Amino acid sequence: MRGYVPILLLLLIAGALPLAVWTLSRLLRPRFPSAAKASPYECGITPTSEAREKFSVRYYLVAVLFLVFDVETVFLTPWALQSKELGLFGLVEIGLFLFLLLFGYGYIWSKGALTWE
Amino acid sequence: MQMTLTQTLVMALIQIVAVLAFIFVVVPMLTFAERKVIGYVQVRLGATRIAGGRKGLTGAVNKIMWWMGHFPVISFFRGLPTFMADGIKLVTKEDIMPAKADKFVFWLAPILCMVPAFAVFAAITFYPGVLGVFPTWVPIVGGLPVDGYITDINVGLLYILGLASVGVYGIVLGAWASNSKYPLLGGLRSAAQVISYEVPLTLSLLAPVILTGSLNFKTMSVELATGMSPWAILPLFIGFFAYITCGFAETNRVPFDLAEAESELVSGFHTEYTGMKFGWFFLSEYTNMIVVSALASAFFLGGHYFLPFGFQQFVPASWGWFAQPHLIFFLLKVFFLLFVFLWVRATLPRYRYDQLMSVGWKYFIPLTLVNLFIAGLVRFMA
Repeated sequence: MRGYVPILLLLLIAGALPLAVWTLSRLLRPRFPSAAKASPYECGITPTSEAREKFSVRYYLVAVLFLVFDVETVFLTPWALQSKELGLFGLVEIGLFLFLLLFGYGYIWSKGALTWE
Repeated sequence: MQMTLTQTLVMALIQIVAVLAFIFVVVPMLTFAERKVIGYVQVRLGATRIAGGRKGLTGAVNKIMWWMGHFPVISFFRGLPTFMADGIKLVTKEDIMPAKADKFVFWLAPILCMVPAFAVFAAITFYPGVLGVFPTWVPIVGGLPVDGYITDINVGLLYILGLASVGVYGIVLGAWASNSKYPLLGGLRSAAQVISYEVPLTLSLLAPVILTGSLNFKTMSVELATGMSPWAILPLFIGFFAYITCGFAETNRVPFDLAEAESELVSGFHTEYTGMKFGWFFLSEYTNMIVVSALASAFFLGGHYFLPFGFQQFVPASWGWFAQPHLIFFLLKVFFLLFVFLWVRATLPRYRYDQLMSVGWKYFIPLTLVNLFIAGLVRFMA
């Protein structure tokens, strides 16, 4: 586990760095807050509504599809590591897995889930 | 030789400082190079002076830079102080907190973006061996070898992929916390784009994993450069182009910089960010470019060796210097790929969003899956 000590150290340093620079910048920067400055950017007009409104359902769809395919890469990784040892059996098995996956992939494609309108 | 915990910590600290120094030198130079390269591609000069006119310190600097313009190669480096001016500007700008923003998340998002971008460097092997040995008179670490990597864990690539995908939280949380329309739209687009391209990115990196049967960064880069069958060139070649394209999309660079489509979305997810809070987003984007270039050079372009795509095995040992791994080969490949990032930015127009999504889902996923199967066949035949 000794190899993970430098990683922890790097995470700590990388986390401390922005705090240090923000502290430095707090000493240097001007501070003149005003209501107009703090209002959300809106191309010159006064904001009329909350920004957190409805947005396209497509984004959820992308997230769901991503989950499916990401789990698939998780399944592929152990085979990728052991492909030599698993030999022909592993190759055929992963071929079957990919074939089934391509079937589902073709289905979502034909349903239009991959087309962004 | 087993090191004590103190020695491990001090050694790691020295290496981390060196790597951070590398990042903090390369990123500003990259912003300068971006101005100049794009300028020269578009037949203009790019930055040649800094603001401040003829008087005082800036006047003296500008006078030197005017004089530098008389010489052919040196004239390219006029405007070099702009990167320092940029840094000073970012640190001293006023920090504006939007009134309706979620203050804690707004503050957290840049850190979430930048910590993973920096932390992946722990697993990147800059040189597969010992760079040098500390003289014995140095306290604590005297007589110990300095490795060309911060740590050598056996799940290096998994660690990099896992951590690199945390960065998208920074984007989407920053966008949400701003509570403003343009950042929200930009952040959503960006998140959808990043997760869409993450699948083919991971799949294209699995081809090298299949070919080597390892996830250790050092083992993979050395094996891929030297120990492959000649057939492995094909999956590596396809994998490289798939990987670098997905890398462009992952880092939100042109031609996939939809999140920052300034004609539609002002500045994307960081529209409401100012000063150093914006600076960390900016820094993490450029650091991610270095990470993408480093992974592409290590796994596809022959890493620390001379020739890319596994061609290194045809280099006879009698070539001496070119048959050995060198830090300089790796850095040259990384800098070349960073130049490609700028070159592409100067050359290609931006994709439309629907085109971007369909390219990712309809072309790159099948391409990388087929590439995986080719890699599996090559591995099986070898």
